[in-house]
Amino acid sequence: MLLIQLAVRNLFRNGRRTFLTCLLITSSLVVMILMDGLILGMLGVMVGGITQTLEGEAQIYKSGFRDRFDATLYLASPESILTVLDEDETLLAYAPRVVVPAVIGSSYNTLGGLVYGVDPEKELAMSRLRQAVIEGDYLSNSPRALLMGRLMAEKLEIGIGDRVVLTASAVDNNELVQGLFRISGIVEFGPKELDESMVFIPIEAAQALFHLGDGLHQIALRFKDFKDANRSDLALARKIKDDGIEFKGWLALQPGVGAMLEMTNYATLIIGVVLFLFASLGVINSIFMSIYERLYELAVAKAIGTRPAFIGGLIVLEALALAVMSCGIGLPIAFCLMTYFAANGLPLGGTMEFSGVVLPGRLHPELLWYQFVQFPLYVILLTVVAAIYPALFAARIAPARSLQKAL
Amino acid sequence: MSIVIETQNLRRCYGTGVTLVAAVNGISVSIEQGEFTAIIGPSGSGKSTLLNLIGGLDQPDEGRVLLQGQDIAAMTGNAISDFRRDHIGFIFQAYNLIPVLSAHENIEYIMLLQGVPKLNRQARVLEMLGLVGLKGLGHRRPAELSGGQQQRVAVARAMASKPDIILADEPTANLDSKTGAELLDLMRKLNAEQGLTFLFSTHDQMIMARAQRLVHIKDGIIEQDESR
Repeated sequence: MLLIQLAVRNLFRNGRRTFLTCLLITSSLVVMILMDGLILGMLGVMVGGITQTLEGEAQIYKSGFRDRFDATLYLASPESILTVLDEDETLLAYAPRVVVPAVIGSSYNTLGGLVYGVDPEKELAMSRLRQAVIEGDYLSNSPRALLMGRLMAEKLEIGIGDRVVLTASAVDNNELVQGLFRISGIVEFGPKELDESMVFIPIEAAQALFHLGDGLHQIALRFKDFKDANRSDLALARKIKDDGIEFKGWLALQPGVGAMLEMTNYATLIIGVVLFLFASLGVINSIFMSIYERLYELAVAKAIGTRPAFIGGLIVLEALALAVMSCGIGLPIAFCLMTYFAANGLPLGGTMEFSGVVLPGRLHPELLWYQFVQFPLYVILLTVVAAIYPALFAARIAPARSLQKAL
Repeated sequence: MSIVIETQNLRRCYGTGVTLVAAVNGISVSIEQGEFTAIIGPSGSGKSTLLNLIGGLDQPDEGRVLLQGQDIAAMTGNAISDFRRDHIGFIFQAYNLIPVLSAHENIEYIMLLQGVPKLNRQARVLEMLGLVGLKGLGHRRPAELSGGQQQRVAVARAMASKPDIILADEPTANLDSKTGAELLDLMRKLNAEQGLTFLFSTHDQMIMARAQRLVHIKDGIIEQDESR
């Protein structure tokens, strides 16, 4: 009790120093929480951009298909797989797709691209295809309706209602097949490679055009728990994986993004360590200043019989009180800032494309409970650790020498 | 009378090689229970060093310091801290008190370290405050007390733990002569009435005038030991 009383009172002896040290610790905590929230927000946008735009959180496809979108590698009898998917409780949604490289031609121009045969209803819960429509209508009931990326439409110099000819090899006999479609809508996802190379037609039309029967090239999946997609022990994956059939989560589908996420984690860790290192140095400096200021007093305390451990404990407790006070101030500030930016977003100065993902003009940090529990604990722990060296110094003060030196 | 403190061939040197100086050079002295003794001498004579060695604040290079028969020079760490807490009272020149504690708490502090029960502590603090004439001022922090009052609190704190001896290093150095005289009269009174043993390190004429015994030190050795 005496120790606590002394520690708290000592803390307020030099208000300015305590305030400045407190400011340093508080700022570090707030910056750390904000930075973590922003990075999580950015990763959320990036991962969401990848998984929610079109790719899905996982995909099932014939081995080798994704290497070069070879249309001949398709799931010829997907019924059993679809039955498993229908019965699986971890899934939120799935969407079967046909994906065929084709030549897409208008009256004015031709371009190479990918034709996606999609189920318009299932895509509603799977991708952002519906939300990406910026002009015209989503895939209508017409079997000849087609959605086209904005950049491709510009290059082909066509618009809503215009005719488009799709030319590709049939998957069964490699014969050229052609289909005439009419643009029902223009889509814009954001990333250039999507908007200049993709068209979407109803899946039945695609299966018929490319002679696929009931065959599919990929089944995109979305899980109730996002993390399930990359779990190596996922029961669904075990059920479906077979010779020649691949089941891959988005990390495996996008290894570059996985590496980037890992790099981001390291970067966060390094920034955090540097931030806390600076704060710790500030704390050590401040504690040493306070010890030197009280050298005579500590020497007297030791002379009259205060044990070294008591003196050391007092210094550590002062640091602890300082850290707790800083966290007490920093947490509400961080919470207010996080809540504000989570609602209003942090302006980034315009949209930008990063690794094929479009970051919006405003970044919304992700507010999570652990940021308000773990980070303050780290701050408290590091402050206490930072105080150990000064505490040992104080505990080892030689009374006779310090009394003489301080006078 | 029994011997409270005895030093045997005490030696303490500072520096190395050619700069080696013996601040205390083989001093043997005994202090008896109830004495009011002053170690006197010019600056640099070694009186404060001797007092520090007697109080266990410094360790001798040679010799022994026996307090109630125990060699405190051989004690280290918690043992010497506890010994000082229980057997020796200290009064320094100035800034004796812990500024963030009130006079009451400063006196209580040492008893808290000793683990004295709260009721006993409170009673003892009030008794000490009364003895040093500071009744009613216990709630004041050191900054709210005059220099003389602060030294009185230091005396009260030194006495609170019921030590065998009180060591005072230039206790009047920072006081005006009137306040210094009052403080010394108080200590002399406590010495006479309570049988407390006081050992001063000083060159203050007022202390010398009141001391029963003067131990003259020069260049680290006892030049004269004069009982009055």
